[in-house]
Amino acid sequence: MIEVQNLVKKYGPVTAVKGISFTAQPGQVTGFLGPNGAGKTTTMRMLTGFLPPTAGKATVAGHDVFENSLEVRKRVGYLPESVPLYRDMTALAYLMYVGEIRGVAKRRDKAFEVLERVALAHRADSRIRTLSKGMRQRVGLASTLLHDPDVLILDEPTIGLDPLQVLELRELVRELGKRHTVLFSTHILSEAEQVCDSVVIINQGEIIAQGAPVELRGMLEQGGRVLLRVNVPLENALPIIQGMSEVAHAEISGDSIVATPVNPTSDPRPAIARAIVQQGWDLVELRPLAVNLEEIFLELTRRQAAANGEQSEAAPDVTETESEVSS
Amino acid sequence: MRQIFAVYKREIGLYFRSPVAYAIAFALLLFFGLLFSNSISTGNGQAPADSVNFVPNLLTFLLFLVGPLLTMRLLAEETREGTLEVLMTLPMRESQFIIGKFLAVWTYYTVVLLLTVIYHIILTSIGTPDAGRAFTMYLGAWLYGGAVLAVTMIWSAVTEDQIVAAFLGAATVLVLYLAEVAASWFANLPNQSDASGLTNFVRELGLQAHYEATLLQGIIRLEDILYFVFVIIAALFITTRIVEVRRWRS
Repeated sequence: MIEVQNLVKKYGPVTAVKGISFTAQPGQVTGFLGPNGAGKTTTMRMLTGFLPPTAGKATVAGHDVFENSLEVRKRVGYLPESVPLYRDMTALAYLMYVGEIRGVAKRRDKAFEVLERVALAHRADSRIRTLSKGMRQRVGLASTLLHDPDVLILDEPTIGLDPLQVLELRELVRELGKRHTVLFSTHILSEAEQVCDSVVIINQGEIIAQGAPVELRGMLEQGGRVLLRVNVPLENALPIIQGMSEVAHAEISGDSIVATPVNPTSDPRPAIARAIVQQGWDLVELRPLAVNLEEIFLELTRRQAAANGEQSEAAPDVTETESEVSS
Repeated sequence: MRQIFAVYKREIGLYFRSPVAYAIAFALLLFFGLLFSNSISTGNGQAPADSVNFVPNLLTFLLFLVGPLLTMRLLAEETREGTLEVLMTLPMRESQFIIGKFLAVWTYYTVVLLLTVIYHIILTSIGTPDAGRAFTMYLGAWLYGGAVLAVTMIWSAVTEDQIVAAFLGAATVLVLYLAEVAASWFANLPNQSDASGLTNFVRELGLQAHYEATLLQGIIRLEDILYFVFVIIAALFITTRIVEVRRWRS
């Protein structure tokens, strides 16, 4: 279990994390989603006790990360994004080393057990520098499992892997989520959608949405919009669609037309299909505009940017007050 | 304790598997061997008086080169490779990690130091050098080495660049080595009465004041032992604080 309350991290004048709060439940994979530089790694480093927070409180596995850092570290497995490993050691020796520092009993057996779990037992005696990137990633992951941690914190574990390895790793993370509290960061939206039971979306150090992927989808009412592609110039097709009584609004979006129906619950597709065919045109594609995390994310960041834009108009007053205070 | 031992074991393994460590030991022993044989063969059958303390004296001087070379890697590499991030999220204190590293490099130095005892054995075979004095010389060289290694390790925590760490380490040790010279410069200032306190202070800060005139001559003074122990502890403490602060600012 991870509980974060108003966590803030400032690097000098830059505020990397601006007072975020969220909870990661046990037995679930919580996705930590955001573009590069959103503050994901900083937050994870604070949760693992590597960085002290500037303000706020975080409890991991029942202990405060700042006041009781060593207790937290005993119960957390953390895989940093760069997966730092000692290249000159064998996979087994590395796991034994981490196991010894952690005080794991029956280290050798345990090391083999976790290597087995990440399907690397056959490379136990290979030096880490001879392993592929995906294998190293798995050695890193294995090292976080040695002590059966309550909480696993994985920083972009699928970066730099080939597609098959990505699939395997996602499967493994989902599997781990059944037994541990897993916080899993990614900037790949489809990945979060596939792997996570719950998603926290962060951008520019602020949480802009959180909930199950399904809930997030519900957050953006799309009103039964449909996407349409035809094999004639869209400018010609647009007036036809706009003229239909079932369609409230239609616009060109890229190489297709997006139409919003008058009544969100009724499907306008049959009527649109008939209209296109009546014109003697070929219908190339006609589908409901499924909302995926990608769109939610883009929409939310747009809203955030708009909100910040309003703030910045009022900003001169704020900076004046601040400079008075600081002087 | 377990953590210190784990770090120590890994690090000592690295020293004894690393070609660099063997190269340093080889170069040192070759150098000593040549100079030593030269020193005892120029005395017309009679070993000159300084043959007795020749090797420990030279070794402590060369530590300004050897110390930084041995310690530059210790923390700089962990920071650069990012392995520090993993280690510092394991249940281990910075101090345990740093003590483990320090003990490993000090052990390596001890092994090299023990190898140089061979020259004393050679001396014993051709004369009757004072065994008690030999003991204090080597005890002193051992503590001296510990202090130099601890001090140069600070720079390995400060910078990720091993070369920079080595140069700064060498400079620091030279300054500590030459404190004697600085002190004598202060002593020659025209206004003697004002300078004597400062002279003594600068002199006592340096490494040589606690070795050359005492331990190297067969004199054990508690204050010299305490000086070296204090330097080691203070340097390890500073290193720990630097690692903490650098992590918190990263």
